[in-house]
Amino acid sequence: MSTNFIEAVNLTKKYKDLLAIDHVSFSVSAGEIFTMLGGNGAGKTTTINLFLNFIEPTEGEARINNIPVHKEPLKAKQSVAFVSENVMLYTNFTAIQNLDYFSKLGGKTKLSENDYKRALLRVGLQKDAHHKKLKEFSKGMRQKCGIAIAILKDAQVIFLDEPTSGLDPQAGFEFIRLIRSLRDEGKAILMSTHDIFRAKEISDTIGIMKEGVIVMKSSRRELENKNLEELYMHYMAGGGDREA
Amino acid sequence: MLKHIVEKEIRDILISTKFTVTFTICSLLIILSFYTGAKNHQLAQAKYEAGKSENLRQIEGLTDWLSVRQFRVYLPPQPLESLVSGVSNDIGRTAEISGRGEIPVEDSRFGDDPIFAIFRFLDIEFVFQIILSLFAILFAYDAINGEKEKGTLRLTFSNSIPKDIFILGKLIGSFLALVIPLLIPVLIGTLLLPLLGIQLKGDEWIRYSLIILSGFLFTGVWLSLSVFISSLTEKSSTSFLYLMVLWIFAVMIIPRLSVIVSGAAVDVPALDEMNSKKARFISQLWSEDREKISLFKPTAGDDMQTTMNELNKFMQTNADDRDKKTNEFSSRLNEERVNKENLMQKVAFTISRISPVSSYSFAVTGLAGTSVDLKSSFRKSVEDYQIEYSNFMISKTGQNPGSGMRFVISDDNDEKPKNINPGEIPEFKFRPVLSSNLISGALKDIGLLLFFNIIFFAGAFFSFRKFDVR
Repeated sequence: MSTNFIEAVNLTKKYKDLLAIDHVSFSVSAGEIFTMLGGNGAGKTTTINLFLNFIEPTEGEARINNIPVHKEPLKAKQSVAFVSENVMLYTNFTAIQNLDYFSKLGGKTKLSENDYKRALLRVGLQKDAHHKKLKEFSKGMRQKCGIAIAILKDAQVIFLDEPTSGLDPQAGFEFIRLIRSLRDEGKAILMSTHDIFRAKEISDTIGIMKEGVIVMKSSRRELENKNLEELYMHYMAGGGDREA
Repeated sequence: MLKHIVEKEIRDILISTKFTVTFTICSLLIILSFYTGAKNHQLAQAKYEAGKSENLRQIEGLTDWLSVRQFRVYLPPQPLESLVSGVSNDIGRTAEISGRGEIPVEDSRFGDDPIFAIFRFLDIEFVFQIILSLFAILFAYDAINGEKEKGTLRLTFSNSIPKDIFILGKLIGSFLALVIPLLIPVLIGTLLLPLLGIQLKGDEWIRYSLIILSGFLFTGVWLSLSVFISSLTEKSSTSFLYLMVLWIFAVMIIPRLSVIVSGAAVDVPALDEMNSKKARFISQLWSEDREKISLFKPTAGDDMQTTMNELNKFMQTNADDRDKKTNEFSSRLNEERVNKENLMQKVAFTISRISPVSSYSFAVTGLAGTSVDLKSSFRKSVEDYQIEYSNFMISKTGQNPGSGMRFVISDDNDEKPKNINPGEIPEFKFRPVLSSNLISGALKDIGLLLFFNIIFFAGAFFSFRKFDVR
């Protein structure tokens, strides 16, 4: 039995004539951050959508904790947290109210307000923001709320879809710090981004995606002496073979 | 899980500005409808009592029952009319009873005050039918696609939430958030009723409760339809547009169209045409009678009193005969018309029930006793009373006082005749449809409202299963 928390096995998604994901395979184990790096339309979000069962694969499987997502989506998603590019919460609710609702949806029904406050403090949202309505929050603050929800759910698997897109440098830095701390707690994290700098900064493994295919996959160690920017540009320009 | 979704939905609605505004408007309108309804009932009651008194007053002072040519009866206002006016303001509320012949029912409230015919009254039926249905749309048109637009749907379904639980939670939550707060003004209105002089009896309380239940079921129809449309469309602006079109069709077009279609399908003879036929027939009978009258020859010789009695008897016999023939002819025409009218009504009602608005309207007017049956039950009561009145007058005068000629000779006796006692005239008792019949009649439409709820919820459920939550 595989110890990988996240696993894509020949994952394929076809829309009529468009092959959005083409036999993609990779795995993410506990305490690992796998980053899918690529431009718009590379298939990063589609891959995450397949793991969240928002769409069904045409071929292959997306597995979470060895559970095929499209066969047992509810069971698979019990151990999943998700933070999107724009964490959209209920704007008429306060941060605490949002955390309360989404934690309960995530199966954490016995959490107290103090737990919510602790989670918010951990992600860097100070007390004065706890009872503010989300409509008063900046994008960075909303992203932090999203992470707080993931923390409260205590999910083994976290999907991050362009989480730092549009954040100012300070907010982006704080966000990365949080992700690292979650990785250190043993979470398996699959992140999509087109931010090469962030990808290099945080990832344990990077997969460069182009036109639904992972064209390059390297570990942090393998990339240490390489210029990721050049590699990325090389692959985007059409160089290299498909990653097996 | 369901509980959390319901709680969230209720909280989301209750803290919105949209809710504050709609709740305030609805509460004011509901309380106002109870108040104006009660006030109108008081006025109608006063008018009814005044009409009855005036009627008796006109008879007071008469010394001969033969002088009482006509007696007016009035449709008493029904307590639940104050909440659901139905057709009560459109139909005639009084009838002039003579001993024989057809009885025209006249003096509708809208006939007296045409301004109300244009703007109608504010009643509970209107509040639920127009205001609450629109507010239900306003609350739920973006129930699903709005969440997608906001992005909350992705986050929600990144958790292990079954879609059916989510949509059920949405529907229950929005229904409770809309309905429970509205119970407050309904309760206030209910408490106002006895304070404003409307005393409901046991069976009327049951019917009243069913009226309120129907209103909430009707609101549920629009909520579930809105959720359904919201789960069928990608954009909330599109679902809002669709729902507005559906609302216009359901409220404005289908009921009217059903009448047009049924009118075209069933040819009901016009009243004027029928009256003209009747008038021609009566005129023909009179012509025949005129010949008979011209041939009348008294057998009593010179005794004036005996001659008069003989003449009156002759005239009475002619009138009875004429009346019998007229009644037979009219009955035949009326029966034909009533049959066709009933058929047309049945066709119209059946077609219009496609719209939940019609089902709701039939249910509440039926329960309030203000449906189209009010007209026929008043007419039936009046017709029954005419027989009673006629028998009474015959017992008093020896003849039916309806149309027909009567000859009297003056009596030079100086003795002052006694006044007749109007209290002896049998009292008119309106016999409304029995409560149990009203309730069983309305249950069909209440069932239809429930059916619409189930159908739209099922539609929402199945379309949401295929809904792309991304």
